[in-house]
Amino acid sequence: MNENIDVTQLLPILAPIFLIQLVLMVFALVLCLKAERTRGPKWMWALIIIFVNLAGPIAFFLFGRRNDG
Amino acid sequence: MTSGAARYFAMAQKELLELVRSFKLLWVPLVFVLLGIMQPVSMYYMPLILEKAGNMPVGSVIEIPMPLGAEVLAQTLQQFGTLGLLVLVLAGMGTVSAERNSGAAALILVKPVSSFSYIASKWTSLLLLAWGSLTAGYLSSWYYTSLLIGEVDASRVLGSLLVYGLWLSFALALTLLFSTLLRSPAAAAFSALGASAALSLLAGVFPKQAGWLPGSLSGFAYQIASSGSAGSDRFGWSLACTAAAIAGSLLLAGQSLKRSASVD
Repeated sequence: MNENIDVTQLLPILAPIFLIQLVLMVFALVLCLKAERTRGPKWMWALIIIFVNLAGPIAFFLFGRRNDG
Repeated sequence: MTSGAARYFAMAQKELLELVRSFKLLWVPLVFVLLGIMQPVSMYYMPLILEKAGNMPVGSVIEIPMPLGAEVLAQTLQQFGTLGLLVLVLAGMGTVSAERNSGAAALILVKPVSSFSYIASKWTSLLLLAWGSLTAGYLSSWYYTSLLIGEVDASRVLGSLLVYGLWLSFALALTLLFSTLLRSPAAAAFSALGASAALSLLAGVFPKQAGWLPGSLSGFAYQIASSGSAGSDRFGWSLACTAAAIAGSLLLAGQSLKRSASVD
């Protein structure tokens, strides 16, 4: 059943995955840019968030921010 | 309502606000949903991925049997047990130790708030985070699995969800305990992850002798998801033992916080 899969068939299945990754990335990026201080240079976090898939935003949420528990 | 309960509710409300303001209530469930969706989708496309990406000789035919829906759900739980647990424990590692280090805990505890209601409010917010994320992720995995691979009974999903949630709750109770006992959040996360990994390993290697330990709960959850029943007479013991261990570690955390509210 998997022989002739075309893009139109793939898209609705894969779209939520890309969408969630995009939401996490944009959200982390906005928080990073708006933060007064981050742990480590801000541009470094921005690069990590953009280029490291999924783990980048998570790492920023967990370790990048100051002043929260 | 007694005044103690009223104070607990006020504290819990503050913790929930904190959960929203640190955006944990948003991104942790999103990560779980992503993990949950990825498992059935990657199982569904596994033949295609191997065909496109693998260096197979031309003409070789690979027959990969499509797994049953129930097996995919059990695999999803395994994903939650590694990456999901890591994210939850890391998100919860600073709950007490960060407030103790900054002195906020001492400020709160000079007011007539018992250390136990302080711990209980922290525990409430961790529970909400864990159960909310697990439910969101598992239900989306269920939806995708029934869409792409095959139907799975709702009773199996519910049963394994409850058992797995109890396992996560136990791991978070350990996190809370170590976060109270130890000064550094990283050490707390490391000890909690290490202790839960050791317990799971013990239950996996000696299922007869250690089947009643909390560590066997994750295995029981996989069993319930894939075969419909826990299939062991130690299941009940394991549930009771986990509940007792959670209560014990919360009491111990409250006791140790009472003795020293601030770190000098």
